[in-house]
Amino acid sequence: MILTLLKHQWKSELRSSVLQKSIALNIILGLLVVYFGGIFLFLGFYTDDILAEIYPGQSAVAVFNGMLLYYFLIDLFFRFMMQDLPVLAVQPYLHLPVGKNKLVHYVLLKSIPSFFNLLPLLVFIPFMLSAVVPAYGQSIAFAWLGTMIAVTLFNNYLLLYFKRQMSTKPFYTLGFGLVISLLMLLDYLELLQLQVVSKAIFGQVLLQPWLVAVPVLLLLGAYLLNYTFLRAHTYPEEMKVSKATQATGGNIAFLSRFGELGKLIELELKLIWRHKRTKSIAALSVMFLFYGFIFYTNDTYLEGFGFLIFVGIILSGMPMFNYGQFLPGWQSAHFDGLLTQRISPVQFFTAKYWMMVPVMTLAYILTLPYGFFGHKILLINTAALLYNVGVNVFVIFYFSVYNKERLDLSKSATFNWQGVGASKFVMMLPAMLLPILIYVPFWLLDIPYAGVAAIGGFGLLGIIFQKQLLQWTAKRFVEHKYKLAAGFRQS
Amino acid sequence: MLTITNLQKIYNGTTVVNLPALSIKAGESVGLVGNNGAGKTTLFRMILDLIRPSKGEVYAKDINVMESDAWKTYTGSYLDEGFLIDYLTTEEYFKFIGDLHGLSDGDITERLQPFMDLFNGEILNQRKYIRDFSKGNQKKIGVAAAALSNPELLILDEPFANLDPSSQIRLKNLLKNLREHKHMTMLISSHDLSHVIDVCERIVILEKGQVVQDMQTNENTLHELETYFTV
Repeated sequence: MILTLLKHQWKSELRSSVLQKSIALNIILGLLVVYFGGIFLFLGFYTDDILAEIYPGQSAVAVFNGMLLYYFLIDLFFRFMMQDLPVLAVQPYLHLPVGKNKLVHYVLLKSIPSFFNLLPLLVFIPFMLSAVVPAYGQSIAFAWLGTMIAVTLFNNYLLLYFKRQMSTKPFYTLGFGLVISLLMLLDYLELLQLQVVSKAIFGQVLLQPWLVAVPVLLLLGAYLLNYTFLRAHTYPEEMKVSKATQATGGNIAFLSRFGELGKLIELELKLIWRHKRTKSIAALSVMFLFYGFIFYTNDTYLEGFGFLIFVGIILSGMPMFNYGQFLPGWQSAHFDGLLTQRISPVQFFTAKYWMMVPVMTLAYILTLPYGFFGHKILLINTAALLYNVGVNVFVIFYFSVYNKERLDLSKSATFNWQGVGASKFVMMLPAMLLPILIYVPFWLLDIPYAGVAAIGGFGLLGIIFQKQLLQWTAKRFVEHKYKLAAGFRQS
Repeated sequence: MLTITNLQKIYNGTTVVNLPALSIKAGESVGLVGNNGAGKTTLFRMILDLIRPSKGEVYAKDINVMESDAWKTYTGSYLDEGFLIDYLTTEEYFKFIGDLHGLSDGDITERLQPFMDLFNGEILNQRKYIRDFSKGNQKKIGVAAAALSNPELLILDEPFANLDPSSQIRLKNLLKNLREHKHMTMLISSHDLSHVIDVCERIVILEKGQVVQDMQTNENTLHELETYFTV
């Protein structure tokens, strides 16, 4: 029975509309999987050599064991951020003559074949073959691998449990997070050396292989914990992580001063605030503000201009790229409604324009402190902001008419490929490359600052002619609106 | 009010809608009946400029709906949940629609007054988003929003579906009232023959995209329709 259910699950993955629609996306996904898989496999086979190089004279296995505890703690953190709870899929079976116990087992087993559980195996297995087997022999190596798998799955179930508790007993989860942070802090202050502890724990397994029973028992315990909890709560409304949400956030009085434009902006801000996927996009955009540290701390990048222009475009433009690449798909669920209301296409896009400009300006202001790395950065970022506001907004608008896929906003943005298509990748190229192309001739003439000024100049031109550009955008939109509306109607 | 000429919609070689001519006078209330796939919703979408016709035109007050947005000022419509902005609360949604038509808060409250019976205390002041309402309640919200601006033309797709019996009767009386007192032109599709005859003075039967009968309602209409649909 559980096998049949798992088969259904497999079919639902294969037949999901996202995977079936776009071949390009499948190819890109496939390449990503191969790429990361390859990296992990490579890491797995060469970890012992790498470790031997960094820590000469120490056993690679001992060093590896020393890192494991950190790894498993970080793993927990990432799971907390990204792993989804597999629950709702049981709804169509609840009224059928299928035992509840089986359904619960199914829900729990279903979580095993996930990215988080399979990827580490690509490191553990090769490392076991290349380092543990030669040093300790086969049977001990298998015990070691068993420990790894058991701890990985233990993490899996531990996290599922705490994540599920979050809605009803947030303090459990909070306490859990505090304990982990405390461990990290103690390690940082060198009061407790996780590395030593980790070495001792996992080293002991190599000495006394029967100890593999401990993590296996832990795993069983975590599984049972989940099982008893779910068994007592098999009602869909209790299994859901978030219940019907209370309405939050009132009117933004300040915006109503701008008339209908303000109304439309307010509508869109509420859209962002009240959906999971848009909220995680907003959070992602904030993370990108720190992108500068990767480049600005490196002198080789600081000397040139090309990379700095690229970073400048990203720093102030990322909120717009992140959100704009799906326009107007965010409103796909009520697109028909918007089209029949008294909103002119020009108004529609003007509102989007005036929502993005302040956000980009804010991103620019927040990243001003990067100027400490050199005054050049200030100049370049200012030019990039002008370019984003004057040109890139319209590049995004230009491509927006190709976003015909309906978006489900209630899902989180991580690992969400819905609505991602070839046009997204094509759209990013001109947005990022054009400013660099503008700069190149000036670079060849060896007058880089003139190049920066030219980028800013193009931006200013765009700002001056924004009315015309908005009208042109609206005209394109009207030509394509039937296709958009038809695409959005298909869920 | 509405004139349709040579309107056709063809999907992959199948003609879904084919109307050589159909016109609706101001103040007329027209009921559209027909089995699933007869092309009712497609016709509505072409009238509302949501689908590009393969051929032909729809004129609202003698202006082609594809060429001007003027019809949006005097048309209220609700076809499906795709017309609701589902992450707003009911009040926020009514306010948004009201603002677009320049209505004050007082106007909105006043115009919703006739809907209070239909709302049955379940729609307003609920502190929840439209997406969390039941299908029937979403329909009530959509119909009320469509009528909020006192439109000259009201277009509703199956307004009685998903409603409980009391709500169906209340909605029926409400629509009759709107017709009689506000002289709204109405275009309503429905599978419920008796309701649609009660509300509409003219019934158009659609089959495979074509008009097969076009009649004024009288005491025999229900019987005629039942005979027609009995296979």
